[in-house]
Amino acid sequence: MKRSVNFAWGLYAIAAVTANAADVYPAKPIRIVVAYTPAGTTDILARAIGQKLTEAWGQPVIVDNRPGANGNIGTEYAAKATPDGYTLLMTTAAPHGVNPGLYRKLGFDAVKDFAGISLVATVPNVLVVNNNMPVKDVKELIAYLRANPGKVNFGSPGYGSTGHMSTELFMSMAGVKMNHVPYKGDAGVLADVMAGQISLSFSNMPAYTPQIKAGRVRALAVSTSKRSPAAAEIPTMAEAGVQGYVAVAWFGLLAPANTPRDIVNKLSAETARILKMPDVHSRLSDLGAEPVGSTPAEFDAHIKAEIVKWAKVIKDANVELQ
Amino acid sequence: MDLSAVFSNLILGFTVAMSAQNLMYCFIGCLLGTLIGVLPGIGPVATIAMLLPITFNLPPIPALIMLAGIYYGASYGGSTTAILVNLPGESSSVVTCIDGYQMGRQGRAGPALAIAALGSFFAGCVGTVLIALFGPPLAELAFEFGAAEYFSMMVLGLIAAVVLASGSLIKAIGMIVIGLLGGIVGTDVNSGIARYSFGVSELSDGIGFVSVAMGMFGFGEIISNLGQTSETKNVEVSKVTSLMPSWEDVKASIGPIMRGTALGTVFGILPGSHTVIASFSSYTLEKKLAKDPTRFGKGAIEGVAGPESANNASAQTCFIPLLTLGIPTGAVMALMVGAMTIQGIAPGPQVMTQKPDLFWGMIASMWIGNLMLVILNLPLIGMWVQFLKIPYRVLYPSILLFIAIGAYSINNSPFEVYMAALFGFFGYYASKWGCEAAPLILGFVLGPLMEENLRRAMLISRGDPSVFFTRPISLGMLLVSFALLLMVVLPQFQKKREILEVADD
Repeated sequence: MKRSVNFAWGLYAIAAVTANAADVYPAKPIRIVVAYTPAGTTDILARAIGQKLTEAWGQPVIVDNRPGANGNIGTEYAAKATPDGYTLLMTTAAPHGVNPGLYRKLGFDAVKDFAGISLVATVPNVLVVNNNMPVKDVKELIAYLRANPGKVNFGSPGYGSTGHMSTELFMSMAGVKMNHVPYKGDAGVLADVMAGQISLSFSNMPAYTPQIKAGRVRALAVSTSKRSPAAAEIPTMAEAGVQGYVAVAWFGLLAPANTPRDIVNKLSAETARILKMPDVHSRLSDLGAEPVGSTPAEFDAHIKAEIVKWAKVIKDANVELQ
Repeated sequence: MDLSAVFSNLILGFTVAMSAQNLMYCFIGCLLGTLIGVLPGIGPVATIAMLLPITFNLPPIPALIMLAGIYYGASYGGSTTAILVNLPGESSSVVTCIDGYQMGRQGRAGPALAIAALGSFFAGCVGTVLIALFGPPLAELAFEFGAAEYFSMMVLGLIAAVVLASGSLIKAIGMIVIGLLGGIVGTDVNSGIARYSFGVSELSDGIGFVSVAMGMFGFGEIISNLGQTSETKNVEVSKVTSLMPSWEDVKASIGPIMRGTALGTVFGILPGSHTVIASFSSYTLEKKLAKDPTRFGKGAIEGVAGPESANNASAQTCFIPLLTLGIPTGAVMALMVGAMTIQGIAPGPQVMTQKPDLFWGMIASMWIGNLMLVILNLPLIGMWVQFLKIPYRVLYPSILLFIAIGAYSINNSPFEVYMAALFGFFGYYASKWGCEAAPLILGFVLGPLMEENLRRAMLISRGDPSVFFTRPISLGMLLVSFALLLMVVLPQFQKKREILEVADD
């Protein structure tokens, strides 16, 4: 990291001889790579930021969807892009949190190949159970799971997904065991928890909020340190009895490493400004996301902390991929 | 069922959908969907993904009405290419290729396209009425389906796939097995480990349907046509007899359309990519019911009418779980969830009660969209048929170019283009050896779903296989599969199944 930063400064020094890179930036369209399909949360966030960047700077911002392999394909692609500030990446807690500890071989280095611009938003996870589960809160759930070790099925949107890892973290912190049933995506899990094919799930909150409000599934806790404004009646994990449990889904903007520092800073300041706009704020809240906005240094530190945290969960639960 | 409430709701819906603005967006959606969906290699998912951003700045109701229009247009566009140039836009139109393309080669592309449009319109009307009357209770049906039921349904589907083949039974089974093996490539759902990906990260999500379909049907067909002399082919397609179906055609199609609609409505409600099961179970049914099953695979109009109606009926009813429960049943519906989310609507049970104008407006616009599709497409048939008169030296390179663009646009990566080319060579040799592509593609699509559900059912039952026999719906489907298997196998012993050595194959 340090070396690449020094290298970046070196490049910047050369660039600075001719012109200050940030003064003329952006001089052409900017591309934000999204390693997921259109209309997902990552894509929506990238488009929301992109639209406001266009309004502010008068250059088109194109969202480039390169989905596949749990976000790894698009992330690898962005890591190898020219570090000139014209290719950015909207990342998530998968490629820049869970995946480095999960995959033995990745085509990118989540820390060394990227320069953080800003944490954009966080989305809480919510612990939901089927209505027929004889538990009303997390304490009763833990007691029930202790009485029936390994007999309860939990669903996740995929092996190694943040939903899976959040449940592993819950099991290790609460000292309970459940049977993992992986799906391909959120929709299958949601339908099967509602139908009672599986008993519970830890998933991104937005998809579940309408079902919780309609009384089709029972929410026991949110995974954030504070209650979510979207459903303030649901307690946090800490309030519900699992002290210190925090596992949020997050989304952030990155540039390839060696992108000129002043361009990164300019993007970071603009992103933070955009995230404070009332219309952006309400658009993100509708998604169940909380806008954040941070400095490059804060975001780099966040990514490092996330990688360390998930690597430990992966090691404890023994779920590393070959 | 409170009929007067439904009636007043439908009036609300039509008031919303018939506003000049919404009619216009519905029309634009159908038109754009048809125009883009008709490009080879670009199916409904790719079309919607591509056009989604243009709806971002519209208000919610016009945006969703337009997207639904795009979806119908793209689905119909996919059938058009299946009939004209043997290129299925999505897995469910693979079946349309079988007889639709043969009809086209016999100069009957017009009737094939017209019957597809009329059958789809009828199915769309029935689907819309069903949603209006029984939407919420029908949605609950999906909850009766767990992993065990889906597995048994896939077993039924694969056995039915054997019936699809008009040639040798052994070759059909061989192609299904190759398809199943191809479907294994990719990340294992239960362990997250990549299988047969050889370290290529693009393969970690499996081989894409579009590359296989474009390769096997598109590239393969073009290569094998190059082997023929150009005179024979141009004669073949220039004798376009008539654009509209004859009264005999219509009479032959009524039954298949009704049965296809019934099958399609049922399968559309169930989550997963089951439109493909709807369309080819309709084909299987028509082939079994036909007085002369040997006509199938050689341009039987029933083989177009049934599957196309089934396809469109399920395209309607798959909106039921989305609109009433907020559960997407496939990739297209997942994109609709995204579109609703962007508009600030959280898909879920509350949409119907909190936004009745949106809910009923969409239902009414479904019907209007289907009507527009017929109005739009019947006059276009003449134009589409003209395409077949384009000399092959111009038509083929353009098709190849469009396939390459379509394959590239899936993930914005050249990898899919290489895969399509690879499958093109395989498709060419397969057709030389008399092996048909349709069973392979069905094995390829259903295999991963079957494996996923088998293993999920076993995980949930803690390794007890009796779940497949103790759950009534699952047992019922396994029994039907067994009966179907007997029907396929028994004639083998009585008289050696006639291997149809078709002259031109």
